[in-house]
Amino acid sequence: MRTPIAIISALSMSLAATGAHAHAFLDHASPLVGSTVPTPPHELSLSFTQNLEPAFSTVEVTGPGGARVDQGKPQISGNTMRVGLKPSGPGSYHVHWHALSVDTHTTQGSFTFHVGQ
Amino acid sequence: MNDPLLYARAFHFAATITVAGAVFFVAFIGGSAIRKAKNAAFLMAEVRTQCAWVAWIGLVVSLLSGVAWFVLTAASMSGQPLGNLASQGVLWTVLTQTEFGNDWLLRFVLACALGGLFVHFLAVEGATSPGLKAVTVIFAAAFVGTLAFAGHAIGGQGIEGIVHPTADVLHLLAAAAWVGALVPLALLLHAAGQDFDALTVARTALLRFSTLGIASVATILVTGSINAWYLDGSIDALLGTDYGRLLLAKIVLFFGMVAIAAVNRLLLTPHIVLGGDLTAAQRALRHLRRNALIEATAGATIIGIVAMLGILPPASHAHHHAADHAIPADAAFQHIHSDQGMAEVTIDPGHTGVANVTIRLGDENEGPLAAQKVTLTLTPPVAGSKPITRSAWQDSDGLWRVDGIELWRPGDWTVTVSATLGPGKRLVLAAPIVIEPR
Repeated sequence: MRTPIAIISALSMSLAATGAHAHAFLDHASPLVGSTVPTPPHELSLSFTQNLEPAFSTVEVTGPGGARVDQGKPQISGNTMRVGLKPSGPGSYHVHWHALSVDTHTTQGSFTFHVGQ
Repeated sequence: MNDPLLYARAFHFAATITVAGAVFFVAFIGGSAIRKAKNAAFLMAEVRTQCAWVAWIGLVVSLLSGVAWFVLTAASMSGQPLGNLASQGVLWTVLTQTEFGNDWLLRFVLACALGGLFVHFLAVEGATSPGLKAVTVIFAAAFVGTLAFAGHAIGGQGIEGIVHPTADVLHLLAAAAWVGALVPLALLLHAAGQDFDALTVARTALLRFSTLGIASVATILVTGSINAWYLDGSIDALLGTDYGRLLLAKIVLFFGMVAIAAVNRLLLTPHIVLGGDLTAAQRALRHLRRNALIEATAGATIIGIVAMLGILPPASHAHHHAADHAIPADAAFQHIHSDQGMAEVTIDPGHTGVANVTIRLGDENEGPLAAQKVTLTLTPPVAGSKPITRSAWQDSDGLWRVDGIELWRPGDWTVTVSATLGPGKRLVLAAPIVIEPR
């Protein structure tokens, strides 16, 4: 399917308008999206489909009690965002991320992971 | 159509391509053509004056539209209203701490340098030294090429991060050399007049422009192929989304421009020969002038389409990771996978308004996955908005469905599927999904 699309679009003078991943989508996370891990993680890591702008990309993590458990500003390198997590107990953790891709487009999303059995 | 960023982008693309095109024309086409004329000094002065107007107006418009693009993008990046940008230091942060801002800073320096170079390069009197010509061409090429670093081509991983922006830089240069040089070409053909001497000038200019045009079209084809490879879409996505339909409109216009260029080269230019039929040559010259302006108009329309495409989600996003089975043309689709299972979410129609959602659950190997209860949450693309959460019902085919959801805003929504698989066993999957404007 890619070849005919390539031929058609090649004739389109696409200038700077086309792109495979024009928004930074979440590619994978550690802990995994929706997963259950036995012990509270010390760090949350998010990998995106595009490189991020550190100045405008953020993540918030709330623990089972509803309080923030992330340690503030995340460390961002290339397409990876990492944030340390404060020690907390078993239960559901809610992650909300906001990403600004280097191509200036913003995306946001949220997911949950669980700690315990 | 009411997004001011659309207009800022359109004017900036058009103005930048005009600036670079005028420089390329003066450096590679106009001067060589005019030197062979008997009234070369007069013609050179006339054409340079007109090209200087084109280049200077292009430079000023590119600066003004560039400022507008920068401010509007800074507002979008930060989520701040325009009035707060300066007071909260957002503009400075964007300028110094983002790749877009760094690119804009570099392009501002290039624009200022071009302004300085233009004083001598576009001067009516005096010959341009080869060194000044080379420096001006390099700066003009950099000015248009660095537009690629403010667009969708950057940010990719691995080899894509090198190949895609490189292709876009070449794509922009080729577009500037062809489309940007059309207006100066039409001006030269007009200034050359109707006599025999004009035929020499016109023929030389047309042949040189044609050679440059062939190289440009070839470059656009190759670099467009590379862009399309990274587009990674589908025929359905091209035909079934606004992004795809605009892309197809570009294809039609591009074909039209290539067809006109072929007519110019193969049918009209051969009539312009010394010692031939003067009346036929003059008629061909009139047609060539008119065709150059038609091509320039088509090029301007393409630039307008490019400006629109830049603020729409690419077609591939509407069907991100599309599965093999049929998906309605108007639907938004998302495949979400984790090590515990997967969900295929179809929102039909995938634009603003009332939509129905279908969810197919599967295990980690994409086999059937039984669930006791499934809940769907759709989070709007606006910070602080209340998510829409609904329980899904299972149809006779085993698909989970939620009907009548109001999608009130276009953009990147987040879809979350929460499935209860058994006592204490739950599967939660989340991913972005693009909802298009109606």
